Amino acid sequence: MTAVLEVANLRKAFGGVIAVDGVSFDVHAGEILGIIGPNGSGKSTLFNCVLGQLQPSAGEVRIDGQVTTGARPCDLNRLGVSRTFQLLQVFPQLSVRDNLILAGQEHQGSMASRLFGRADAGLGEAAAQMIEFFRLSHLAEEQAGLLSYGQQKLLDAAMAFMAGPRLVLLDEPAGGINLTMLGHLRERLQAYHTERKATFVVIEHQMEFVMALCTRVLVLAEGRLIAEGAPYDIRRNPIVIEAYLGH
Amino acid sequence: MTRLGTLAVVTATSAAIAAPFFLKPYGIFLISTWAVLTIAAIGLNLTLGYAGQISLAQGAFVGIGAYTVALLTPLGVPFFVAFIAAGLLCFAIGWGLGYPALRVQHHYLAFVTLAFTTLVFLVLRNEQWLTNGIYGITGTPRPTILGWKTNGGQDFYFLCLSILTILSFATWWMLRSPWGRAFVALRENPIRALSLGLDTRRYTLMAFAIGSSLGGLSGALYAPLVQFIEPNSFALGLSFNLLLMVIVGGSGNFFGPFVGALVAVLLPEWLRITQGYYLILYAAAIMVMMAFCPAGLLGLVERAAKALNDRRANATIPVRAEGAGT
Repeated sequence: MTAVLEVANLRKAFGGVIAVDGVSFDVHAGEILGIIGPNGSGKSTLFNCVLGQLQPSAGEVRIDGQVTTGARPCDLNRLGVSRTFQLLQVFPQLSVRDNLILAGQEHQGSMASRLFGRADAGLGEAAAQMIEFFRLSHLAEEQAGLLSYGQQKLLDAAMAFMAGPRLVLLDEPAGGINLTMLGHLRERLQAYHTERKATFVVIEHQMEFVMALCTRVLVLAEGRLIAEGAPYDIRRNPIVIEAYLGH
Repeated sequence: MTRLGTLAVVTATSAAIAAPFFLKPYGIFLISTWAVLTIAAIGLNLTLGYAGQISLAQGAFVGIGAYTVALLTPLGVPFFVAFIAAGLLCFAIGWGLGYPALRVQHHYLAFVTLAFTTLVFLVLRNEQWLTNGIYGITGTPRPTILGWKTNGGQDFYFLCLSILTILSFATWWMLRSPWGRAFVALRENPIRALSLGLDTRRYTLMAFAIGSSLGGLSGALYAPLVQFIEPNSFALGLSFNLLLMVIVGGSGNFFGPFVGALVAVLLPEWLRITQGYYLILYAAAIMVMMAFCPAGLLGLVERAAKALNDRRANATIPVRAEGAGT
């Protein structure tokens, strides 16, 4: 199977603190990979290094075989890599529709053509479909900042898919949302994955969510990769149980 | 735009066209000043209100534009060539000034732009061979366009109003395009914007450059309007005044600079009847305004309109319920 993302010996140190310590893994096309680990295990730092938000201290990142270590997030996005953040990151003053158009507009033509072209960058129809897909139609013209937390989480996820990415990295998509909304989000992510054959990497603490969604799981502890396998096996792995629960 | 909004714009445009026919020369000078400074305020609103990059340099760009026209037109350069040169020069300098914005934000950026304003003031004052120093430059001619002489106050006002209209339309076009959305994204969440493929570096520089360019174009009209320019006119006070226009009108609101400039130009004049107290009253009025409507005057209008709509909506609910029951 082709590797969409390859991470080799990635290391990130903040002064004397090593947040990510020689982590290596591959993500294959069409896969939903889960990354779990206790708080402070380096999951988000790993994401930030892969996605150009942080410069890794050492190691290499490849996307579709192309070295992208240290590339800017906007350049990675144009290569078809998208992400969500641990904390909500919508644009509160823009409408739901404009948030989605914004999420895809930089993939439409050049900067100059966007100035003289259509106000919706030709994405009005695509935004409407995405709004419908995430069942936000009744909120399309609402300001994103006025939506409930769960609705903003859905919008946040929808924005990550707007440009039709090949690889989506979701950082705690289930964080802080209620069980109903969680089920809805999981179902939409699964539907998107089935329809578009997209590749996901998901960081999540909500174990039920990870176990139901992911096909393979990596476990990080203290910046190191301590286990890898199918969700069922990971749940029973004594090393993982120890890392989560301690002695 | 709502029907009420369209009506307000049409009324305001009609008033702007009719006003000089009812005003004395000083009144025409004041509304010309309003038109000219509104252009600079639109530029600052773009940089600050939409893109979220604080700038205390807009007054300096007005100065650069004014001196460009004042220096070029006596050399025989046609007014509109000098006008465009002023805009281009400020675009280039604004692009350069945007680089610090890539590294620093908020009050740190304010200090960088404040230092730039001081630098421009010192150049205008000290480089006497070029700018005539503290003696300033007098007699910048008003242009003749296809035989239409704009020497008279009324004619020059209509020239300023026409240019304001064209530049407002161009800015509106840009803000309704994906660029406008990108500028708002830059203000609200640059990290998320970057992750969505927006080249935040280029958009930041563009916001500075276009905003500065509008400042330069404003200055290019300011020189022939007042016909005497000197360095003090473009010191920090003007930058603060332009900032006041944007904030009072409604930062990030397209029509904010129009309203803000009107308040900043006309209010001190109306308060002159109080003689020595006018500056105290002006300052007090601004403080009260900011305390009760931090979103600016247009923010207050929007709040009032929303409250009215909510009240209407609430008033109709029992009627519907009664209707449903019968």
